[in-house]
Amino acid sequence: MLGIRRISTNRWWHKKKNWILFAIFLFLVFVRISKGSFYKDFYYFISKPFWPGQFQKEIILESIDQEYLIKFNLLKKDNIRLRRILSLQELSNNENISAAVISRKTGSWWRQIILNKGSKDGVEIGNVVIGPGGLLGRVKDTSLLTSSVTLITSPESKLGVWLDRIQINGLLVGLGDDYPSLIIYSKDADIKVGDFISSSPASTLLPPNIPIGIVQSIDETLKSKKTAKISLLAKPHVIDWVQILK
Amino acid sequence: MNKFFLKKLSIICFILIPIIFLWHPNWLGFLGVQPYWPLFWLLPWSMINGSINGLIFGLFLGLILDSLTVNDSFTQIPGLMFCGFLFGKIKLHSNILIGHFRYGLICSFGSFLCGTLYFLQILFRNFSDSNSLMLIPSFKNILAEVFLTGFLAPFICSQLLRIFKFSRRRFLQ
Repeated sequence: MLGIRRISTNRWWHKKKNWILFAIFLFLVFVRISKGSFYKDFYYFISKPFWPGQFQKEIILESIDQEYLIKFNLLKKDNIRLRRILSLQELSNNENISAAVISRKTGSWWRQIILNKGSKDGVEIGNVVIGPGGLLGRVKDTSLLTSSVTLITSPESKLGVWLDRIQINGLLVGLGDDYPSLIIYSKDADIKVGDFISSSPASTLLPPNIPIGIVQSIDETLKSKKTAKISLLAKPHVIDWVQILK
Repeated sequence: MNKFFLKKLSIICFILIPIIFLWHPNWLGFLGVQPYWPLFWLLPWSMINGSINGLIFGLFLGLILDSLTVNDSFTQIPGLMFCGFLFGKIKLHSNILIGHFRYGLICSFGSFLCGTLYFLQILFRNFSDSNSLMLIPSFKNILAEVFLTGFLAPFICSQLLRIFKFSRRRFLQ
Protein backbone atom coordinates (compact mmCIF):
# COMPACT_ATOMS: atom_id res chain seq x y z
CA MET A 1 0.00 0.00 0.00
CA LEU A 2 2.81 2.33 0.97
CA GLY A 3 4.76 1.34 -2.17
CA ILE A 4 1.83 2.20 -4.48
CA ARG A 5 1.42 5.60 -2.87
CA ARG A 6 5.12 6.40 -3.34
CA ILE A 7 5.04 5.55 -7.03
CA SER A 8 2.00 7.77 -7.59
CA THR A 9 3.68 10.82 -6.01
CA ASN A 10 6.66 10.42 -8.28
CA ARG A 11 4.75 10.62 -11.63
CA TRP A 12 6.33 13.17 -14.07
CA TRP A 13 3.24 15.31 -14.35
CA HIS A 14 3.38 15.97 -10.64
CA LYS A 15 6.57 17.97 -11.16
CA LYS A 16 6.27 21.70 -11.81
CA LYS A 17 9.58 21.82 -13.65
CA ASN A 18 8.32 19.45 -16.32
CA TRP A 19 5.29 21.64 -16.98
CA ILE A 20 7.50 24.68 -17.33
CA LEU A 21 9.65 22.83 -19.84
CA PHE A 22 6.51 21.77 -21.71
CA ALA A 23 5.27 25.35 -21.80
CA ILE A 24 8.60 26.55 -23.18
CA PHE A 25 8.44 23.79 -25.79
CA LEU A 26 4.94 24.85 -26.83
CA PHE A 27 6.04 28.47 -27.02
CA LEU A 28 8.98 27.51 -29.25
CA VAL A 29 6.67 25.46 -31.49
CA PHE A 30 4.44 28.54 -31.76
CA VAL A 31 7.49 30.67 -32.60
CA ARG A 32 8.50 28.14 -35.28
CA ILE A 33 5.04 27.96 -36.83
CA SER A 34 4.61 31.74 -36.79
CA LYS A 35 8.04 32.05 -38.44
CA GLY A 36 9.39 34.33 -35.78
CA SER A 37 6.64 36.93 -36.10
CA PHE A 38 6.56 37.25 -32.35
CA TYR A 39 10.24 38.14 -32.30
CA LYS A 40 9.83 40.59 -35.14
CA ASP A 41 6.92 42.31 -33.40
CA PHE A 42 8.88 42.39 -30.18
CA TYR A 43 11.82 43.87 -32.02
CA TYR A 44 9.42 46.47 -33.47
CA PHE A 45 8.64 47.74 -29.98
CA ILE A 46 12.15 47.73 -28.57
CA SER A 47 13.67 49.37 -31.65
CA LYS A 48 10.99 52.04 -31.93
CA PRO A 49 12.87 54.75 -29.96
CA PHE A 50 15.82 54.40 -32.32
CA TRP A 51 13.93 54.71 -35.62
CA PRO A 52 14.62 57.55 -38.06
CA GLY A 53 12.04 60.00 -36.71
CA GLN A 54 9.38 62.14 -38.33
CA PHE A 55 11.77 65.03 -38.28
CA GLN A 56 14.24 63.21 -40.50
CA LYS A 57 11.43 62.30 -42.94
CA GLU A 58 10.35 65.92 -43.16
CA ILE A 59 13.90 67.07 -43.88
CA ILE A 60 14.22 64.57 -46.71
CA LEU A 61 10.81 65.47 -48.20
CA GLU A 62 11.66 69.14 -48.02
CA SER A 63 14.94 68.50 -49.80
CA ILE A 64 13.12 66.52 -52.50
CA ASP A 65 10.58 69.35 -52.91
CA GLN A 66 13.34 71.89 -53.27
CA GLU A 67 15.13 69.68 -55.77
CA TYR A 68 11.94 69.33 -57.87
CA LEU A 69 11.23 73.05 -57.67
CA ILE A 70 14.71 73.94 -58.87
CA LYS A 71 14.52 71.35 -61.66
CA PHE A 72 11.04 72.61 -62.63
CA ASN A 73 12.23 76.24 -62.79
CA LEU A 74 15.28 75.27 -64.84
CA LEU A 75 13.13 73.26 -67.27
CA LYS A 76 10.61 76.09 -67.50
CA LYS A 77 13.31 78.59 -68.35
CA ASP A 78 14.74 76.16 -70.86
CA ASN A 79 11.30 75.63 -72.36
CA ILE A 80 10.65 79.37 -72.68
CA ARG A 81 14.07 79.90 -74.30
CA LEU A 82 13.52 77.10 -76.82
CA ARG A 83 9.99 78.30 -77.58
CA ARG A 84 11.33 81.79 -78.27
CA ILE A 85 13.91 80.32 -80.64
CA LEU A 86 11.16 78.39 -82.49
CA SER A 87 8.73 81.39 -82.31
CA LEU A 88 5.99 79.28 -80.70
CA GLN A 89 3.14 80.43 -78.47
CA GLU A 90 4.13 81.01 -74.85
CA LEU A 91 2.27 80.25 -71.66
CA SER A 92 2.47 83.16 -69.26
CA ASN A 93 1.51 82.48 -65.69
CA ASN A 94 1.57 86.08 -64.59
CA GLU A 95 -1.59 87.31 -66.25
CA ASN A 96 -4.21 84.77 -65.24
CA ILE A 97 -7.66 86.01 -64.30
CA SER A 98 -9.74 84.00 -61.84
CA ALA A 99 -13.45 83.99 -62.62
CA ALA A 100 -16.59 82.34 -61.26
CA VAL A 101 -19.07 80.46 -63.44
CA ILE A 102 -22.39 82.33 -63.29
CA SER A 103 -24.28 80.40 -65.97
CA ARG A 104 -23.66 76.94 -67.22
CA LYS A 105 -25.17 75.19 -70.23
CA THR A 106 -23.51 71.82 -70.41
CA GLY A 107 -26.30 69.75 -71.93
CA SER A 108 -27.96 69.61 -75.33
CA TRP A 109 -26.54 71.66 -78.25
CA TRP A 110 -25.49 74.76 -76.41
CA ARG A 111 -22.35 73.98 -74.49
CA GLN A 112 -21.14 77.17 -72.94
CA ILE A 113 -20.37 78.79 -69.62
CA ILE A 114 -20.69 82.44 -68.71
CA LEU A 115 -18.06 83.93 -66.39
CA ASN A 116 -18.30 86.91 -64.06
CA LYS A 117 -15.32 88.70 -65.62
CA GLY A 118 -15.65 90.71 -68.80
CA SER A 119 -13.87 93.26 -70.94
CA LYS A 120 -13.69 95.58 -67.93
CA ASP A 121 -11.35 93.07 -66.26
CA GLY A 122 -9.24 92.64 -69.37
CA VAL A 123 -10.79 89.46 -70.78
CA GLU A 124 -10.45 89.30 -74.56
CA ILE A 125 -12.05 87.19 -77.26
CA GLY A 126 -9.91 84.12 -77.89
CA ASN A 127 -8.53 83.85 -74.35
CA VAL A 128 -8.13 80.29 -73.13
CA VAL A 129 -10.12 79.10 -70.12
CA ILE A 130 -8.82 76.33 -67.89
CA GLY A 131 -10.27 74.71 -64.78
CA PRO A 132 -9.19 72.03 -62.33
CA GLY A 133 -8.12 69.21 -64.66
CA GLY A 134 -7.18 71.18 -67.74
CA LEU A 135 -8.63 72.95 -70.76
CA LEU A 136 -12.31 73.96 -70.75
CA GLY A 137 -12.67 76.16 -73.82
CA ARG A 138 -12.06 79.56 -75.35
CA VAL A 139 -13.71 82.91 -74.79
CA LYS A 140 -16.06 83.51 -77.69
CA ASP A 141 -17.73 86.69 -76.64
CA THR A 142 -17.29 89.35 -73.96
CA SER A 143 -19.57 91.98 -72.50
CA LEU A 144 -18.54 94.68 -70.05
CA LEU A 145 -19.03 92.44 -67.02
CA THR A 146 -19.26 88.89 -68.39
CA SER A 147 -17.61 86.62 -70.90
CA SER A 148 -19.08 83.62 -72.74
CA VAL A 149 -16.92 80.57 -73.21
CA THR A 150 -17.45 77.94 -75.90
CA LEU A 151 -16.68 74.61 -74.27
CA ILE A 152 -14.60 72.04 -76.13
CA THR A 153 -17.66 69.76 -76.12
CA SER A 154 -19.65 72.27 -78.24
CA PRO A 155 -20.38 71.29 -81.87
CA GLU A 156 -18.67 74.56 -82.87
CA SER A 157 -15.36 73.69 -81.22
CA LYS A 158 -12.46 72.34 -83.28
CA LEU A 159 -8.96 72.27 -81.79
CA GLY A 160 -5.60 70.93 -82.74
CA VAL A 161 -4.31 68.57 -80.04
CA TRP A 162 -1.20 66.54 -79.38
CA LEU A 163 -0.83 62.86 -78.49
CA ASP A 164 2.37 62.75 -76.52
CA ARG A 165 2.98 58.98 -76.55
CA ILE A 166 2.97 58.61 -80.32
CA GLN A 167 4.03 62.22 -81.01
CA ILE A 168 1.23 62.99 -83.45
CA ASN A 169 -1.23 65.86 -83.96
CA GLY A 170 -4.98 65.31 -84.13
CA LEU A 171 -8.19 67.30 -84.37
CA LEU A 172 -10.51 67.44 -81.37
CA VAL A 173 -14.11 68.00 -82.48
CA GLY A 174 -17.04 68.69 -80.12
CA LEU A 175 -20.11 66.61 -80.88
CA GLY A 176 -22.70 68.09 -78.54
CA ASP A 177 -22.23 65.44 -75.85
CA ASP A 178 -19.78 65.09 -72.94
CA TYR A 179 -17.21 63.19 -74.98
CA PRO A 180 -15.59 65.08 -77.87
CA SER A 181 -14.08 63.10 -80.68
CA LEU A 182 -10.43 62.95 -81.66
CA ILE A 183 -9.81 62.59 -85.39
CA ILE A 184 -6.41 61.43 -86.58
CA TYR A 185 -5.96 61.58 -90.33
CA SER A 186 -3.74 58.53 -90.46
CA LYS A 187 -4.93 54.94 -90.50
CA ASP A 188 -1.62 53.66 -89.11
CA ALA A 189 -1.50 55.80 -85.96
CA ASP A 190 -0.87 53.52 -82.97
CA ILE A 191 -3.42 55.16 -80.68
CA LYS A 192 -4.43 53.22 -77.55
CA VAL A 193 -7.09 53.50 -74.87
CA GLY A 194 -5.63 55.50 -71.98
CA ASP A 195 -3.45 57.75 -74.15
CA PHE A 196 -3.20 61.27 -72.82
CA ILE A 197 -3.91 64.28 -75.03
CA SER A 198 -2.86 67.87 -74.46
CA SER A 199 -2.86 71.11 -76.40
CA SER A 200 -0.41 70.98 -79.24
CA PRO A 201 3.08 72.40 -78.57
CA ALA A 202 3.00 73.84 -82.08
CA SER A 203 -0.42 75.43 -81.73
CA THR A 204 -0.87 79.11 -82.45
CA LEU A 205 -4.36 79.27 -80.91
CA LEU A 206 -3.70 77.63 -77.55
CA PRO A 207 -0.83 77.82 -75.10
CA PRO A 208 1.21 74.61 -75.20
CA ASN A 209 0.91 71.51 -73.05
CA ILE A 210 -2.41 72.16 -71.34
CA PRO A 211 -3.89 68.78 -70.31
CA ILE A 212 -7.17 68.01 -72.11
CA GLY A 213 -8.26 64.40 -71.72
CA ILE A 214 -7.72 60.69 -72.03
CA VAL A 215 -8.65 58.35 -74.89
CA GLN A 216 -11.66 56.32 -73.77
CA SER A 217 -12.47 54.22 -76.82
CA ILE A 218 -11.26 53.93 -80.40
CA ASP A 219 -13.35 53.57 -83.54
CA GLU A 220 -11.49 52.03 -86.46
CA THR A 221 -14.40 51.51 -88.84
CA LEU A 222 -13.56 54.53 -90.99
CA LYS A 223 -11.23 53.93 -93.91
CA SER A 224 -8.96 56.93 -94.12
CA LYS A 225 -8.84 58.08 -90.50
CA LYS A 226 -9.02 56.94 -86.90
CA THR A 227 -11.44 58.44 -84.43
CA ALA A 228 -11.44 58.15 -80.66
CA LYS A 229 -13.80 59.17 -77.90
CA ILE A 230 -12.11 61.45 -75.35
CA SER A 231 -12.94 61.62 -71.66
CA LEU A 232 -12.16 65.16 -70.53
CA LEU A 233 -10.07 65.80 -67.43
CA ALA A 234 -11.83 69.08 -66.56
CA LYS A 235 -15.54 68.59 -65.86
CA PRO A 236 -17.42 71.74 -66.88
CA HIS A 237 -20.70 70.66 -65.30
CA VAL A 238 -19.24 70.82 -61.77
CA ILE A 239 -16.50 73.45 -61.97
CA ASP A 240 -17.37 76.74 -60.24
CA TRP A 241 -14.08 78.64 -60.56
CA VAL A 242 -11.90 78.88 -63.64
CA GLN A 243 -8.75 80.64 -64.80
CA ILE A 244 -8.65 82.78 -67.92
CA LEU A 245 -5.19 82.71 -69.54
CA LYS A 246 -4.26 85.88 -71.33
CA MET B 1 -49.05 99.17 -60.16
CA ASN B 2 -50.79 95.89 -59.52
CA LYS B 3 -53.04 96.46 -62.51
CA PHE B 4 -50.01 97.16 -64.68
CA PHE B 5 -48.47 93.83 -63.68
CA LEU B 6 -51.71 91.99 -64.39
CA LYS B 7 -51.93 93.55 -67.84
CA LYS B 8 -48.35 92.82 -68.76
CA LEU B 9 -48.13 89.36 -67.20
CA SER B 10 -47.48 87.62 -70.53
CA ILE B 11 -44.67 90.06 -71.37
CA ILE B 12 -43.14 89.61 -67.91
CA CYS B 13 -43.14 85.86 -68.49
CA PHE B 14 -41.55 86.49 -71.90
CA ILE B 15 -38.70 88.38 -70.20
CA LEU B 16 -38.20 85.49 -67.79
CA ILE B 17 -37.56 82.96 -70.60
CA PRO B 18 -33.96 84.04 -71.36
CA ILE B 19 -33.22 84.06 -67.63
CA ILE B 20 -34.41 80.50 -67.15
CA PHE B 21 -32.62 79.54 -70.39
CA LEU B 22 -29.37 80.85 -68.87
CA TRP B 23 -30.08 79.53 -65.40
CA HIS B 24 -30.17 75.97 -66.75
CA PRO B 25 -31.26 74.20 -63.54
CA ASN B 26 -29.38 70.91 -63.56
CA TRP B 27 -31.76 69.18 -61.18
CA LEU B 28 -34.50 69.49 -63.81
CA GLY B 29 -32.39 67.94 -66.55
CA PHE B 30 -32.61 64.50 -68.10
CA LEU B 31 -29.34 63.01 -69.45
CA GLY B 32 -27.90 66.51 -68.94
CA VAL B 33 -30.48 68.00 -71.31
CA GLN B 34 -33.02 70.69 -70.38
CA PRO B 35 -36.59 71.09 -71.61
CA TYR B 36 -36.95 73.59 -74.45
CA TRP B 37 -38.19 76.49 -72.33
CA PRO B 38 -39.36 78.97 -75.01
CA LEU B 39 -42.07 76.59 -76.24
CA PHE B 40 -43.83 76.65 -72.86
CA TRP B 41 -44.46 80.36 -73.36
CA LEU B 42 -44.95 80.32 -77.12
CA LEU B 43 -47.75 77.72 -77.08
CA PRO B 44 -50.24 79.60 -74.86
CA TRP B 45 -49.28 82.95 -76.40
CA SER B 46 -49.89 81.73 -79.96
CA MET B 47 -53.09 79.89 -79.00
CA ILE B 48 -54.55 83.12 -77.62
CA ASN B 49 -53.13 85.65 -80.09
CA GLY B 50 -53.08 83.70 -83.35
CA SER B 51 -50.59 82.57 -85.96
CA ILE B 52 -49.18 85.93 -87.03
CA ASN B 53 -48.46 86.96 -83.45
CA GLY B 54 -46.96 83.51 -82.84
CA LEU B 55 -44.72 83.90 -85.87
CA ILE B 56 -43.52 87.36 -84.80
CA PHE B 57 -42.89 86.37 -81.19
CA GLY B 58 -41.19 83.17 -82.36
CA LEU B 59 -38.79 85.44 -84.25
CA PHE B 60 -38.29 87.66 -81.19
CA LEU B 61 -37.64 84.67 -78.95
CA GLY B 62 -35.21 83.22 -81.47
CA LEU B 63 -33.33 86.52 -81.68
CA ILE B 64 -32.99 86.79 -77.90
CA LEU B 65 -31.97 83.16 -77.38
CA ASP B 66 -29.48 83.28 -80.26
CA SER B 67 -27.87 86.31 -78.68
CA LEU B 68 -27.43 84.37 -75.43
CA THR B 69 -25.73 81.37 -77.02
CA VAL B 70 -22.23 81.54 -78.38
CA ASN B 71 -22.91 79.32 -81.41
CA ASP B 72 -22.86 81.96 -84.15
CA SER B 73 -23.22 79.52 -87.01
CA PHE B 74 -26.53 78.02 -85.91
CA THR B 75 -29.84 79.68 -85.16
CA GLN B 76 -33.03 78.78 -83.30
CA ILE B 77 -35.17 81.30 -85.24
CA PRO B 78 -36.62 79.03 -88.00
CA GLY B 79 -37.79 76.40 -85.51
CA LEU B 80 -39.38 78.90 -83.14
CA MET B 81 -41.06 80.88 -85.96
CA PHE B 82 -42.50 77.70 -87.45
CA CYS B 83 -43.71 76.53 -84.02
CA GLY B 84 -45.25 79.96 -83.31
CA PHE B 85 -47.14 79.85 -86.59
CA LEU B 86 -48.24 76.25 -86.07
CA PHE B 87 -49.34 76.78 -82.46
CA GLY B 88 -51.52 79.70 -83.58
CA LYS B 89 -53.64 77.32 -85.65
CA ILE B 90 -54.55 75.22 -82.60
CA LYS B 91 -57.91 75.86 -81.03
CA LEU B 92 -58.65 75.47 -77.34
CA HIS B 93 -60.25 72.15 -76.39
CA SER B 94 -63.36 72.12 -74.25
CA ASN B 95 -62.26 69.09 -72.19
CA ILE B 96 -59.61 70.26 -69.71
CA LEU B 97 -58.02 66.83 -69.22
CA ILE B 98 -57.63 66.20 -72.95
CA GLY B 99 -56.33 69.77 -73.21
CA HIS B 100 -53.53 68.97 -70.73
CA PHE B 101 -52.35 65.97 -72.71
CA ARG B 102 -52.61 67.91 -75.95
CA TYR B 103 -50.19 70.54 -74.59
CA GLY B 104 -47.69 67.78 -73.85
CA LEU B 105 -47.97 66.26 -77.30
CA ILE B 106 -47.89 69.60 -79.11
CA CYS B 107 -44.84 70.81 -77.17
CA SER B 108 -43.07 67.47 -77.76
CA PHE B 109 -43.71 67.86 -81.47
CA GLY B 110 -42.53 71.48 -81.40
CA SER B 111 -39.37 70.52 -79.51
CA PHE B 112 -38.69 67.72 -82.00
CA LEU B 113 -39.12 70.18 -84.85
CA CYS B 114 -36.81 72.81 -83.32
CA GLY B 115 -34.22 70.18 -82.33
CA THR B 116 -34.22 68.62 -85.79
CA LEU B 117 -33.91 71.97 -87.55
CA TYR B 118 -30.98 72.88 -85.29
CA PHE B 119 -29.33 69.50 -85.85
CA LEU B 120 -29.75 69.85 -89.63
CA GLN B 121 -27.90 73.17 -89.46
CA ILE B 122 -25.04 71.52 -87.55
CA LEU B 123 -24.95 68.64 -90.06
CA PHE B 124 -24.98 71.03 -93.00
CA ARG B 125 -22.21 73.10 -91.46
CA ASN B 126 -19.97 70.10 -90.68
CA PHE B 127 -20.86 68.29 -93.87
CA SER B 128 -17.43 66.88 -94.62
CA ASP B 129 -16.02 66.52 -91.13
CA SER B 130 -17.80 64.32 -88.69
CA ASN B 131 -21.30 63.55 -89.84
CA SER B 132 -21.41 59.97 -88.66
CA LEU B 133 -19.90 60.78 -85.26
CA MET B 134 -22.54 63.36 -84.50
CA LEU B 135 -25.61 61.22 -85.16
CA ILE B 136 -25.89 59.30 -81.88
CA PRO B 137 -25.26 62.19 -79.43
CA SER B 138 -27.60 64.39 -81.46
CA PHE B 139 -30.43 61.86 -81.41
CA LYS B 140 -29.91 61.49 -77.68
CA ASN B 141 -30.14 65.26 -77.25
CA ILE B 142 -33.28 65.57 -79.37
CA LEU B 143 -35.07 62.65 -77.71
CA ALA B 144 -34.21 63.78 -74.17
CA GLU B 145 -35.43 67.28 -74.97
CA VAL B 146 -38.64 66.00 -76.57
CA PHE B 147 -39.36 63.81 -73.56
CA LEU B 148 -38.72 66.53 -70.98
CA THR B 149 -40.61 69.21 -72.87
CA GLY B 150 -43.59 66.92 -73.36
CA PHE B 151 -43.47 65.87 -69.71
CA LEU B 152 -43.48 69.39 -68.27
CA ALA B 153 -45.74 71.07 -70.83
CA PRO B 154 -49.10 69.95 -69.33
CA PHE B 155 -48.14 71.51 -65.98
CA ILE B 156 -46.62 74.74 -67.23
CA CYS B 157 -48.59 75.48 -70.40
CA SER B 158 -52.04 75.06 -68.86
CA GLN B 159 -51.08 77.37 -65.98
CA LEU B 160 -49.64 79.98 -68.33
CA LEU B 161 -52.70 79.74 -70.60
CA ARG B 162 -54.97 80.33 -67.61
CA ILE B 163 -52.86 83.32 -66.49
CA PHE B 164 -52.68 84.85 -70.00
CA LYS B 165 -56.43 84.44 -70.50
CA PHE B 166 -57.14 86.01 -67.14
CA SER B 167 -54.76 88.89 -67.84
CA ARG B 168 -56.26 89.44 -71.31
CA ARG B 169 -59.81 89.45 -69.94
CA ARG B 170 -58.85 92.04 -67.35
CA PHE B 171 -57.11 94.05 -70.03
CA LEU B 172 -60.17 93.98 -72.32
CA GLN B 173 -62.44 95.03 -69.49
